[in-house]
This record gives sequence, structure tokens and C-alpha cells, in this order.
Amino acid sequence: MSQFLQATLYGLLQGCIFGLVAVGFSLVWGVMNVVNLAHGAFVLSGAYVAYELNDLVGLDPFLGMVPAALVLFAAGYLLQRGLVNLVVNAPIFITLLLTFGLELLVVNGLLLVFTADYRSIPTSYAADSLVLPGDVRLPYGRLIAAIAAVLLTLALSMFVRRTRTGVAILATGMDRGAARLMGISARHVYALTFGIAAALAGAAGAAVGAVTTFSPADAGRYTLFSFIAAVLGGLGNTYGALLGGLVLGLFQAWGGQLLPGTLVNAIAFGVLVVVLALRPQGLAGRAFYASRVEI
Amino acid sequence: MRSKAIIGIAALALTISACGSKGDAGSSAEDSGTLTLGASMSLTGSLAREGALTKEGYDVCAKVVNDKGGVPVGGKKVKLQIQYQDDTSKPDTAAQLVDQFNDKGVKLILGPYGSATTEAAAAVIERNGQVMADSAGADDKIFQKGYKRTFAVLSPANQYASVMLEAIADLAKPKPTTVAFVSADDGFSKTVTKAGVAKAQSLGFQVVGEEYVPNGTSDVSSALTKIKGKNPQVIVGSVHLAEGVAIVKQAKELGITPQIFAETVAPPTPDFAKTLTTSAEGVLGSTQWTSKTSGSDKWLGSAQDYAATFAKQFNNREPEYHGAEATAACLAFVLAVEKAGSTDPNKVRDALAGLDEQTFFGPLKFNDKGQNVTKKMAVIQIQGGKPVAVWPTDSSQASMKFPGAGAA
Repeated sequence: MSQFLQATLYGLLQGCIFGLVAVGFSLVWGVMNVVNLAHGAFVLSGAYVAYELNDLVGLDPFLGMVPAALVLFAAGYLLQRGLVNLVVNAPIFITLLLTFGLELLVVNGLLLVFTADYRSIPTSYAADSLVLPGDVRLPYGRLIAAIAAVLLTLALSMFVRRTRTGVAILATGMDRGAARLMGISARHVYALTFGIAAALAGAAGAAVGAVTTFSPADAGRYTLFSFIAAVLGGLGNTYGALLGGLVLGLFQAWGGQLLPGTLVNAIAFGVLVVVLALRPQGLAGRAFYASRVEI
Repeated sequence: MRSKAIIGIAALALTISACGSKGDAGSSAEDSGTLTLGASMSLTGSLAREGALTKEGYDVCAKVVNDKGGVPVGGKKVKLQIQYQDDTSKPDTAAQLVDQFNDKGVKLILGPYGSATTEAAAAVIERNGQVMADSAGADDKIFQKGYKRTFAVLSPANQYASVMLEAIADLAKPKPTTVAFVSADDGFSKTVTKAGVAKAQSLGFQVVGEEYVPNGTSDVSSALTKIKGKNPQVIVGSVHLAEGVAIVKQAKELGITPQIFAETVAPPTPDFAKTLTTSAEGVLGSTQWTSKTSGSDKWLGSAQDYAATFAKQFNNREPEYHGAEATAACLAFVLAVEKAGSTDPNKVRDALAGLDEQTFFGPLKFNDKGQNVTKKMAVIQIQGGKPVAVWPTDSSQASMKFPGAGAA
């Protein structure tokens, strides 16, 4: 029983990390209809920013989420304004190509600068854990990352619902033409959205760097998990990615207990197929976003 | 890459027509004064880290041999040149690149990094009549297909986990009784685990768990949760770096405290201790080579001399076994070419098959499958943040600390 509880708890924590990694990916997809294949590379860039800050001035990686987010926000805003905006109206195939190219550039840039070494940001506490009844462990590092995931998702929710800028982002996502007619500068809103998404990726990277290992080659895996979490949760809601992440984490943990451990990816995609067959818009998604046509 | 190949083929065609005879660019080493070896290498992709370490080993060999005047071939000395191509860590690309080397007349091939790429390359080598000195493909599967032209300088996969269990049975007091295996699911790691389980049972250990995780994952929590209730005293990881780090890290998170961790290829790599800091203390690892390995040769001297040469070439870094096995593979070619007195691939193959030399890497002697079974692997333990040799005891640097885990 305690084995099952442990797996469930660990799965939930892991799910929160998936959610944290995926929330920016889901935002960009929902608002701009761009599947950002470079998202995993952004996550890793954030991890390297936090790693360097830890190495140079001893900054704690969870505090390092802030500077990592700021750096990635600036990079994301400029990238969108200068590059992705050129093709944002183009068919999705073109944006896929562009972001794929971007991913290759960033990953190989990271390889050049940081080499392919596996790294982890050292802390004195992240691998320690709280002992619950039945010797079920709650590791501090993952707990902090999970709390950060929930807080950031809540903050993003508040931002898009309660502020003018946030509402402008939502409006542009729903109908770009109408938003423009209302005086919203789509270019700026898109750049802002992309920047926020990159910032969230950067923050996620710092947290991931503290609880696990990373190397430039991991970029693809983070993009893949973001994709699954975003589709599972559904687009059009800020908490969709977190929900998707949690479902993914839980099913991986349970599946890992009942089936041979090598089937985790099969489980992840199996869940995805089932959810898509039963609820094509995702668990919390709005059907509108799945069927929308850009004009 | 493709255009290069086309240019290469075109150039070859031109040479042939110009000479008016059936020339062979590869065997003209005696005339041109260089001996060219081809190497398909994981310079990017998932194995880029290990690929870079392997390339360093090949580079050391080329530099040392050329600094001493080159390879003696039938009374003349020829320079050694290594051509690298990036296989992006993919087996099918490695196979293609080996084929392209053949088109360019490069018949002597240094192995790529890893068992999967080596297995793919070995099939092409056999078909083309090339010869390969395998530096990093240890999976027994490569050698069960009757290939006659692939020679591995390293000890076979079945040794990797077995030597650590032997060391524990030999040195740990009181001797632990229960062992659990956590294994990656690639062919090499599975072979290691199967052989390890058999060895553990023959040494009187009780195997309480055998869990598999996806190759390259950084989350092994499911496997660890499953073995936690069985309280294994030894956890053996048949893994690469990412999974190896995850086992130690997540075992700590989950409150799993065996007396000792033993992991195959991860602990000797410098990143292991760097990434895990204090948690790495006491972890055992198996290695193909340490700077205490006995044996020496005329090119590189003893293992100690090799360490000094390597440090001089690479910013005072200490070599680890990826580099050493690469240098040994290249050395095998140098010795074989010298012995054959020719760079003809068939003669070099026969010389390799009959090779019996002591080197800085230990004995180089191949059985009829092309495996180096004479050489013994060594066991290292992370002590004070560094891997030190602890077994076999006659070539060790320190005594094994036991229990080794739970240093934090």
C-alpha cells in the first residue's frame, strides 16, 4: 500500500514538473496557433542560466528561476518580434519548420558553449525528503518545484483574466481580426505572449536543473512532454497544461508499477490517444481552440 | 555529407581513369606517406559526450605515433591520419559513413562510440572487406554473428556487472546477501544485467529485483519504488550516465539506502562525481582501464605514462577509460600494420587476429570472435570526489570502503 502511495505522490510531483514545463508551450499554441518546437531548448537555456548563476555567485536554483525567467522573456520577446512574427500568418507547416530550425540552432549553440556534459545544479536540500507515515517520502526539491508550478499557473491565470494586457492576449487568441479592430496591436501582444511563454520555460528549466540532470540533448524530450501535456489538458485554459501534466505524471507512475518500466512512453501516448478519442479538445480545453481557423 | 561523398567518388573515378588501371586509394599508403584511418563518431546527438571522449583518445594515438615518426610499414615510416565524420549518434548513419569511407578507399576503420552504432557498422565492414578496431562496442551480440573483420580491444559486456559483484564478494565485510538490478533497456545494458544476475547467483547473492528503465531516462522512480520494499543491500545499475545519476539521486529522495551502489559505465566518467557531489561518495563502477592497469608498450609506455601524455595534450585533464580504449583501438591498428608490413586490409586483418601484445591498456589478444577476453576489467570507487581503483587488489590505488552508500 505504501508503495502505491509513494508512486502516486511521486507521480503527482513529477506531473507538476511536466505542467510547469508545458504551461508556456500551451499558451503559445493556444494564443498564436504556433506549435513551438524550440520550447524544450528554451527550458534548457533557463537551466543553463540558473546553473551559471549558481556557479558564479552561488544563487539557489529556485531563486534562480527569476533571473532565468527574465533573460528568457527578453530573448523570447525579441525572437517573436524579429523572427516568428514574419511567418505567424503562414500555414502551420512553416511555423513548425521555423521553430524546428530554431531548436537546432539553440541546442547546438548550447552544445558549443556548455558542451554535452550532464549537469545538475547542486543544492544541500533538494534530494532530502520529508518522511510521511509508512515511510513514504516527499522530496523537498520536487515539492518546491511543484508548488512553483501551481503558483505560476495561478499567477498566469490571474494575469490573463484580471489585467488589460492579459485580456488583450486572450482576445487576440480568440479572434485576431476582431482584436485588431478594437485597437490591439497584435504584433506586440504576440511578442509579449511568446516572451511570457519563454519566461515560464526558463523558470521551469531552473527548477528542473535542481531536481534532475540536464544536457543539451534533452531538449527534444521536454518539447515532447510539453506537447503531450498541452494536448491532454487542452488549449484555451491556462491550467490545462498543469492538468495534462498531472494526468501524464500519474499514469506514468501507476503504469510503472503495474507494467514493465520500459513502457512509460507507450503509456504516455496511450493515454493521449484515449483522451483524444473521447474528448478531442482535451480534458479542460475549449472546443473552439481545436477547430479554430486563422484569418 | 552526400555531396562530399559524390565529390569523393568523382575524384576516385578521375584517378582511376587517369592511371588507366584499377587503383585502390587505400592501399597506396606506402607511396603517399600517410596511413588513413576512418572514424564515424558521435560528435552530436545523444552520445555526443562519450563521442567527444572517444575522439580525444584517437587523437592522442595519432599525435604520439606521428611524433615518433609514424607507423613503420615494410621499412618505411608513414604518418597516421584519422578522418572523422559525424554519425549524430545514429546507427544507420554510422553504417552509411563506413560505406562512404569504403568508397573513398579507406579500408581501416576505427569504431564509433557505443554498441548500437558499432553493431550497424560491423555489418558493413564485413560486406566491404574493411577492417574495424572496435573501441567502445562491448555488446556480446556484435560478436555472435560470425564476423571476421571486427576486433574489440575492450572486455566484453558480460564482464561489466560481474567484476563489481566479484569485488564485493571479495572485499565487503560482512558480505551482503541481497542484490537488486536496475537496468537500461538497450541491448548492451540488458546483456550486462543478464550476465550480472547469473554471476550474482553463482557467488551466492540473492537477487531480489531486476527492473528495466528506458534507455537515457532521468526518471527511474518507478523501478526504485518497486525494489524499495525488498530492502536490497546492493543496488547494481547497468546504465549510462543519465540513468546512473538518477538512480543515486532518486534513491536518496525515496529513502532507499543500500549498503553500496554499483553502476557500470557512469561512475568513471568525470561528470558523475561532479553532478552528484557528496552523494557520489562510495559508489562503485566498473572500468576498462585505470592508470594502474598493468602492461606497457613501446608507443605509449605504461598506463601511468599514458595518463601523463593525455594530460599534456588536454589541459592537465586526467584520462578516463573512454579515451584509453580509443587509443588502444588505434594502437591495435598501428601494431598490426607494423606486424603485417603492409596496409592491405586482408593482411592487417590477419595480423590483428594473431596479435598478442602487452600494452598500456593491458593485453591485446583476440579470440576467434574478435573479442578481447584475456583482459580483465577493473573496479573503481568514488572516494573524495574522484574515481580510484580498488579491485583487483594487486593494481589498486586504495582499499574499498564498505558500506559505501549513505555518505551523505
